[in-house]
Amino acid sequence: MTVDMLNKRARGSSEAGEIESFGSLIKRLPVTMRPSLNGQFTAWDTLFPFEQQRLKDFMRGVESFNPSALDALLAPMRRLEGKMGVQSWNFDQTADTMENASLLARSAAFSEWRAQVQYIYDAVETAAHASAQRPGAQSRLVVAILPRSLPFEPAKVWSKWGDGGAELSIDGDATHITELLLQGPSSVRDLLVQQGSIETSDLWLIDGGSGFSTTSVSQGVASTLTCAALGHLRERVLAQVNTVPKSIEVTDQTLASIRGKNWDPWWPPELKDEARLRRFVIDLYLSGNGALIFSNAFVEWAASEAIRRARPRVLFARFGLRAKPKPFTGIAIFENQHHISALPDVDDLQGSAIDAAVLARYILLAAQRYPECAQTAFLCIAESAESAYFVLPDALKTSWTNPTKATPQQIAHWLIQHLSTPPRNHG
Amino acid sequence: MDFTRRELLKTAAALLVEQWAGAAAIASPSLPVTDRKVVLVTCGGMRREDTFAQSGFANIPHLYRDLLPQSVFYPFVHNNGVTSHYNTISSILTGNWQRLDDWGNTSPTTPTIFEFLRKALHLSQDQAWLISSNKALTSRIGASSVSSFGPAFGANVIFPKQLLISAVVHAASQGRAVHSADRSTVQPEIEAILNSDNYDGLGWSIGGESSSLDRITLGVIQQAIEDLIRTNAPVTGDEFTYLVALEVMQRFAPSLLAITFSDMEVAHFGSYSLHLGGISTVDRLVYELWNVLKTMPAYRGKTTLIVLPEFGRDFDGSNTNGFFNHRQNGDSTRITWMMCLGDAIQRAQILEDSIQQTDVCPTIARLFDVKNLDLAGKPLPGLWL
Repeated sequence: MTVDMLNKRARGSSEAGEIESFGSLIKRLPVTMRPSLNGQFTAWDTLFPFEQQRLKDFMRGVESFNPSALDALLAPMRRLEGKMGVQSWNFDQTADTMENASLLARSAAFSEWRAQVQYIYDAVETAAHASAQRPGAQSRLVVAILPRSLPFEPAKVWSKWGDGGAELSIDGDATHITELLLQGPSSVRDLLVQQGSIETSDLWLIDGGSGFSTTSVSQGVASTLTCAALGHLRERVLAQVNTVPKSIEVTDQTLASIRGKNWDPWWPPELKDEARLRRFVIDLYLSGNGALIFSNAFVEWAASEAIRRARPRVLFARFGLRAKPKPFTGIAIFENQHHISALPDVDDLQGSAIDAAVLARYILLAAQRYPECAQTAFLCIAESAESAYFVLPDALKTSWTNPTKATPQQIAHWLIQHLSTPPRNHG
Repeated sequence: MDFTRRELLKTAAALLVEQWAGAAAIASPSLPVTDRKVVLVTCGGMRREDTFAQSGFANIPHLYRDLLPQSVFYPFVHNNGVTSHYNTISSILTGNWQRLDDWGNTSPTTPTIFEFLRKALHLSQDQAWLISSNKALTSRIGASSVSSFGPAFGANVIFPKQLLISAVVHAASQGRAVHSADRSTVQPEIEAILNSDNYDGLGWSIGGESSSLDRITLGVIQQAIEDLIRTNAPVTGDEFTYLVALEVMQRFAPSLLAITFSDMEVAHFGSYSLHLGGISTVDRLVYELWNVLKTMPAYRGKTTLIVLPEFGRDFDGSNTNGFFNHRQNGDSTRITWMMCLGDAIQRAQILEDSIQQTDVCPTIARLFDVKNLDLAGKPLPGLWL
């Protein structure tokens, strides 16, 4: 056994002890705050490094309060829970459930409760940040791709994106930008490895079609999700979700059963050994937001959740096509229309383009909710319009020369250069 | 028989209502009541920016160009309750903010407008209807749990869309695709559903348990819906709901008819284009409804039409994924609009003062001269109340 392995084991043992101690700390928190924290610790091994660190920081923040200060911080929430009648609820403390959410949402004090949760989290996180050592900021990149198959007019494609970014006409084949970033001598992956990243959640490739046409980013070096490859699993999960009756209690049981089920026969080979990513996909499917229904909704929701949960260095999200709703599937849209109707699929090009443009912007908005946005360059490419929309971090804006046109090579070079440069050195 | 899609829908709608009339046997002789009529249309979650805003006018050409100029329009209508479908519609119908099981497992805790009217005016059950596309509702929404009111004074509640969904989905779950050449695919499912006393979606049994159909009517309904399916033309649930509503109006001319549309709720699955399509469908159906009300003898000149979304949707960039959902405690979700047309309005105008969705129930009550109700809401301004 190497010294490195021994150190890792020792760290693991010390971490396990600390996590166990957090269990008793959670019991000191108000009842309605426990399910989320307990649920995360139960799923500890399938959390991303960012989530694990944030959770540890939060619990250390709670720990940093002396008992009387903690009691004072939590007293208003405890009073509120009394007023809401939480003690008489059938409230699951082990994990978030639909019934928990429903009980909270229909309480007359729901808004007040949300404000209290925010107040406590802000106070604890402030305490946690005071003691934690923060890693240095890193340059980040999010690329959303509206593929050539989706029709866009250059003059209108960015009309709803506001004035937070700038348009750029692409002088050449727009599809080359992604290829240059993912392949070639100075690919994003090679750069991340050079910078010491060995964590697959640092690079995400999410595709609404049949996958990125790249060979250089192989499995094991990135978190890769492809709608086509997940098709069989999706159909199976959808079929089971559709058995849910109109009962919150039974729904919670069904969702727990889906989470616990062995889906091995239906996972694509590239995800068979990726327990964390498999859990991520099941969570996506069960959290609604169309991930089980439309591939473009899957891309958006997967990207948004990856950004929230993993805070990746680089994320690529490519949208795709959906078929037009078939007769009667318009009224039963939650069903699998391939099964309902024997009619052939017909692509909805215009509808898919409208959907993808909105959802690509939603990825930008998702990224902008977090502090890492200050180091993130965002690029959306409309391949059919040979046009791009980019939003730069403030530090880069000062050195930007506002070009209106650029070749794919120039764009790829700028983005690689951005990733190569520590944020403080921009400008 | 070579039906067009719409003719088939109309036939199916007529037959559904025919069945109710034949089987329910709940209509007692009507007592004289005021001649006034109210049609209340609630329609899912639609943001102001996708409807009554510069960016949304294109989605609602009829509401904006044709109906707004002749309406009392309230641009600031607040939903201060739980922004789920069952709770919101229950709150609108009761005039009190309801905080119920979202899935409709409990009845509203205060009387609905159906109960107020039926009890005060001695209306028969066929004078109060709720016809809904929304699968989140259950027939419990037709009457409250208040012992002095309750189902004896409740509305007829029908979910036409659920009949079709159940038939189609059941066929699919049995491994049979709905195919133009396979007439026998759906028929057994239709038959099973129409014969089921426990089919929650239909809500036949509010006034009794008479939900089984006579053989002749059943055969005709099966044939009509089967023909409808065979057309393989796009069909929306809201269109079918609308046609069932028309049939109810023609047959019973109810004093109070509530219709809920929900095609736009496809937004939950993340298709913005289909969401806008749902808004446009509602725009068209409301316009058609208004034109029918202006010409149908039982309604012409004595009907007030009230149209409002249940809520907006979450704002772009919210942590609830924007237009997909309606859970945010913010203006985009909580502030919507309302339009009143017809008999009750003094003159067309836009009233910018904030109002509450719970104001609808006392307003309708007042239109029928039912007063002194203990409600959170208050009658709307701008009407002749």
